[in-house]
Amino acid sequence: MTFLADLFYIAKQMKRGELLGSLEHIILLALARLDGNAHGMIVRREIEERTGRNISIGAVYATLERLEAKGYVSSSTGDPTPERGGRAKRLFRVEAAGNRALQISGQTIRSMTADLKGRWETI
Amino acid sequence: MSCYSPPAFACRLFQTVLPVPYQGALLGDLIEEYTLRAESTSPSAATRWFWGQACRSIPFIVGSSFRTGDWLISASAATGVYVVMGMIKFAADFMITKLVAPEQTAYIVLAPIVFLAITSIGGYAAARIRCGTPIFLAFIVMITVGVLIAVKACSVPVPWWYQFGFLTLGPLSVLLTPVLFGVLKPRSEESTT
Repeated sequence: MTFLADLFYIAKQMKRGELLGSLEHIILLALARLDGNAHGMIVRREIEERTGRNISIGAVYATLERLEAKGYVSSSTGDPTPERGGRAKRLFRVEAAGNRALQISGQTIRSMTADLKGRWETI
Repeated sequence: MSCYSPPAFACRLFQTVLPVPYQGALLGDLIEEYTLRAESTSPSAATRWFWGQACRSIPFIVGSSFRTGDWLISASAATGVYVVMGMIKFAADFMITKLVAPEQTAYIVLAPIVFLAITSIGGYAAARIRCGTPIFLAFIVMITVGVLIAVKACSVPVPWWYQFGFLTLGPLSVLLTPVLFGVLKPRSEESTT
């Protein structure tokens, strides 16, 4: 019953297009973990360290750009440094809409995996 | 200040040919990580990593350009350059066949040279006009040559590698000329493409 109630809640809360893709979900989570300002390579490194996925920096920036267009993250320009060939960092942070999307995605996953734990333990 | 410098060719590829979102930031990230890796492992391993990242990023960068609609401007600029290239090629062909070398054998020898010169100039001009344009121009050149081969536009019998050369070297010269010459389009706000 709780499971059904959760599903109805999620369907009601989540507007069309608000579902996060797997990479979007992981990158938003990484940004949330990094707590505020983080640039692309830090996000990439965080994902690699935690999940073992060696994703390309192009994929990270393309996803961050998509998330920014959706209003889930915002970005600001840092100062240029010599270590970066005089190029400025683009710092990203999760916005309220991004936190809400993460919350909804988390609820969806929890609801969908609620009764599966026992099954995984037997495998 | 580090004494390690990332592969210049790969950097130029990012700066000139590809419609990269947040181009400056992305390249800065790559350079920063390259330096760290060169110090912790070896410069050759860091170079391999840099190239790996650059190559694996290309599909995402092009895909991102399609999503944002940025590609329309680049594709329009590429079409404009292609039209000018077509007119130059037409004029060059006319001059070769009527004035310089009327016999077919001479035309077969001269045609690839003229073609590669025009595609190289086109690639250079495209990169000067707008970052990301050469990749669309290369695509247009490849499609056109492919269609011309398919409809057997060449009346003279030529070996397969001759046509294959046009199909591969044409788009490659469009892409590589701006990279080799290090064409850098000045950008007022390079990080927010």
